[in-house]
Amino acid sequence: MPRAGENHIPIAGNTKVEEHGAKGEGRRAAAAAAAAIRSMEGWDRGTKSVVGEIPLLSTRAGPRDGDAWRQRLKEEYRALISYTSVNKSKDNDWFRISAANPEGTRWEGTCWYVHNLRRYEFPLQFDIPVAYPQVAPEIELPTLDGKTHKMYRGGKICLTVHFKPLWAKNCPRFGIAHALCLGLAPWLAAEVPILVDSGMVKHKDDEGAPAEAAAASGSAAAS
Amino acid sequence: MDAELLELQQQLEAAQSARSSVRLSERNVVELVQKLQERGIIDFELLHTTSGKEYITSDHLKHEIKMEIKKRGRASLVDLSDILGVDLYHVERQSQKVVADDPSLMLINGEIMSQSYWDIVTEEINEKLQEHSQIALAEIAAQLHIGSELVVNILLPRLGTIVKGRLEGGQLYTPAYVSRITAMVRGAARGITVPTNLPSVWNTLQLQLQETHGASGVSVEGSFFQSIFNGLLKEGSVLGSVRAGVQWTPTVFAHAQKESVDAFFSQNSYIGYEVLQKLAIPQPKQYLEARYPDGIALEAVFVHPSVVDMLDTAVGDAIDNGQWIDSLSVLPSYISGPDATKILSLCPSLHKAIKSSKAVVFGESCVFSNAFIKGVFDQLEKEMDSFGIKHSAGQGKPLNMNPSSEHSVGSDQLSDTKDPGDNDTSSTGVSSDKVPKKKRGKVVGSAKSVTLEKDDDNEKNIPVKGKKAHRKNKDASSSGSDDINGPLKFLSSHLRPMLMESWMKKRNTMLSENAERRRHLLDNMQKQLDEAVLDMQLYEKALDVFEDDPATSGILHKHLLRTMGAPVVDKILRTLDKDNKWKNGMEVEDSEENVQLSTTHRTSLVKDLPGSVSVKAQALVEALEGKRFDSFMDTLRDVAEESGLLFKKLDKRLERSMLHSDRKDLMAQVSSENDPVSFLPKVVALLFLQAYNKALQAPGRAVGAVIALLKDKLPALTYKVLSDYHSTTVKLLALQAAATDDEEDCTSDRMLEKKEDLEGRLMPELKSLVLGTSKE
Repeated sequence: MPRAGENHIPIAGNTKVEEHGAKGEGRRAAAAAAAAIRSMEGWDRGTKSVVGEIPLLSTRAGPRDGDAWRQRLKEEYRALISYTSVNKSKDNDWFRISAANPEGTRWEGTCWYVHNLRRYEFPLQFDIPVAYPQVAPEIELPTLDGKTHKMYRGGKICLTVHFKPLWAKNCPRFGIAHALCLGLAPWLAAEVPILVDSGMVKHKDDEGAPAEAAAASGSAAAS
Repeated sequence: MDAELLELQQQLEAAQSARSSVRLSERNVVELVQKLQERGIIDFELLHTTSGKEYITSDHLKHEIKMEIKKRGRASLVDLSDILGVDLYHVERQSQKVVADDPSLMLINGEIMSQSYWDIVTEEINEKLQEHSQIALAEIAAQLHIGSELVVNILLPRLGTIVKGRLEGGQLYTPAYVSRITAMVRGAARGITVPTNLPSVWNTLQLQLQETHGASGVSVEGSFFQSIFNGLLKEGSVLGSVRAGVQWTPTVFAHAQKESVDAFFSQNSYIGYEVLQKLAIPQPKQYLEARYPDGIALEAVFVHPSVVDMLDTAVGDAIDNGQWIDSLSVLPSYISGPDATKILSLCPSLHKAIKSSKAVVFGESCVFSNAFIKGVFDQLEKEMDSFGIKHSAGQGKPLNMNPSSEHSVGSDQLSDTKDPGDNDTSSTGVSSDKVPKKKRGKVVGSAKSVTLEKDDDNEKNIPVKGKKAHRKNKDASSSGSDDINGPLKFLSSHLRPMLMESWMKKRNTMLSENAERRRHLLDNMQKQLDEAVLDMQLYEKALDVFEDDPATSGILHKHLLRTMGAPVVDKILRTLDKDNKWKNGMEVEDSEENVQLSTTHRTSLVKDLPGSVSVKAQALVEALEGKRFDSFMDTLRDVAEESGLLFKKLDKRLERSMLHSDRKDLMAQVSSENDPVSFLPKVVALLFLQAYNKALQAPGRAVGAVIALLKDKLPALTYKVLSDYHSTTVKLLALQAAATDDEEDCTSDRMLEKKEDLEGRLMPELKSLVLGTSKE
């Protein structure tokens, strides 16, 4: 395993180096990322390989840092574009997302999961915390609030124990894309089948109003 | 908000709205395809790759195969199946279809090859060929891993276009190389001037090539040479003819052959087959007969009719002139005996002559005119007559005297002065040659041989053809008698019966003459023999008396043999010899009879006698030399019987009458005898006869013994006188023996004294005594 990781990460690192021209920093980041991925124990292989393909970020800046934040935001976009295209190429497209305000501190969108040949779609939203990027953003699925234990109040998903230390270790190299990939995607894969089977969540074809409302809100967010 | 951020926002939007590629799992796809096939939507054949993960349609497979072949030019099906990842079975099927569709492709031994591939390959071959100037097809085939037949098939249509060369006997050659070899072959073929076995020439050329090229493995097949050679022959750059495909006879040679044969034949008007064989004409006879139809083919030689004409005139000439001719001397020296005979048989003049019996052919080549033979015969006859006379004169050693006599005749007749010694040797050589051949034993043989020898000499003596005969003689004397022997032998064998006949005639007349003489001789002999034999038998009897006195007996025996036996034997031998000679018709001159013969002379006479008599006579001669008279008598009897003479036996009456006459004879002798010494034995003999009634012949030495023997038989007085006489005689004889020529010696006186004593006193006394007693 470590060998595979090594193969992937330095390539990503290199791209970063080219982007920023900061040679020494890039090298350190690459080494850190490698270490981070090596210590990724709670995720499946597919996830890990995808994470490797998402470009790492470099600017350590929060929403209150002005131009630095803008720089960071640009990096976030690039990472997201890259992740999206990777997903598309692998026929694994599972979310839509866009900044809800011009500062880019609030993000909204939808995510979906296919279970038993049925697509279950949920609205998605989160704010960039002030302490970002030390603190990961708390992703909310408001339609599922109260339907599962793996969730905090307000629809914030409850991530695995592995997520927080990994994030902390990879600060400031992980961004929104990473959070979605490592946090939301595994959560959906684990929780949606349980929710559907237990009848907590019903397909929009089967149930009228709530699903309809959710869809409407989702589409509104997307637009 | 800066523009970059906006742009990134839009980019994300775009990325998110972009269509996601669809991915199906393998299982799904397989199921989908199955479904499609079930539904009949896919109505064509769908193939799997060997990995099982891909579908491929047969059209695509075909296409791929085509592409692969286009790329590589040549591909084996196994390789294709590996490269395309499709099962070999399908590849094979599709390949067959591909090859069937495209005429430029071929499927051989599991490999597909395109024409373009072959073009490339042949180009490569061409390059290599230009480099090496020749390549073996097998080499190419091995390189390309294909059969050599295929190589030929591939190369043949491209020869002259892509491949600049020539295919010959499994080898490719460049034109330059071919022209070089052609030049070599042309050179060799033109250089050959005698018939040659072509393969051997090719071998030499091959060797030469290998030498010039070193061991680079350039080997040229003999068949290549042969084909080039055939080409050259066809286009006429070498001239000649090939027999059985290998035997090359150049025109030059054939021309030379013809020329030389022509030249020889026209010059010499004959040609030997050997000459032609030397010129390597295999069947000379047929060849010549075809070339010169008017020629005459003989055993070993081919002659022009002019030769026959020439011989014919020569023979005719010889016959007309009454001469002889050896056709070999006229014909070219090359022509041998049998052929000469053949040519002779073609001579018209000879035919005519033989028909009219004017000529005779001797041996293989000699023609003698009858006139010539007659001349020779006459001369021989004459010669024989003279010889016969001569021979009888020189009795005993006819051969020794012959050459000289002949030679004298010969040298007289020869016009040219020849070296007598030379002539001599040659004639003796001939005679010595002839003698063993013609000898018929006995004297006749030697006589005959001499006759034959005469032939030779006559041959020489007659000046047949002047110079020519002379030359021949010279040849004969210088190179030995072989040359001359040939015709002579035939001539002599021809003449011999005639001569024999005439000789026999002569002999018969002589024999009839001799028969008379023989009878006379034998009668004479018989008479003499009878007398002698009776005498001897008479005397033999007396010997018995002395049997007990060996010394005296020995002396008496010897005496008798010497005095009585020897003359008888001589007489017999001579008579027999003479008789023998007469019997054979030889002239024998009467010679002096009374000479005592020596022992060796006797034996030589004995040897000339005919067989059985000779043996007996030999025994007789030996007995004569012996000591016993009786054994001599036995042998004498044998001889007499063998030679047809009577041996008279002594009977009592005859004995008595003989004794009587003997006594009378003795008495007369005694009474008339005056010599005291010779008187004694006669007296003794007479006394002995009187005493024993047996005739005695005793030598002087035995007289004493006889007297002693007579002692008892004689009256004392007679004995005394006799012994006195004897002792006196002995003394006288002793004195005589001791006497010298000196007259004054006293011995002569004493001798005289004794003699007187004997003559005066004792002789009359004894005479009277003896005669007196005898008269009683």
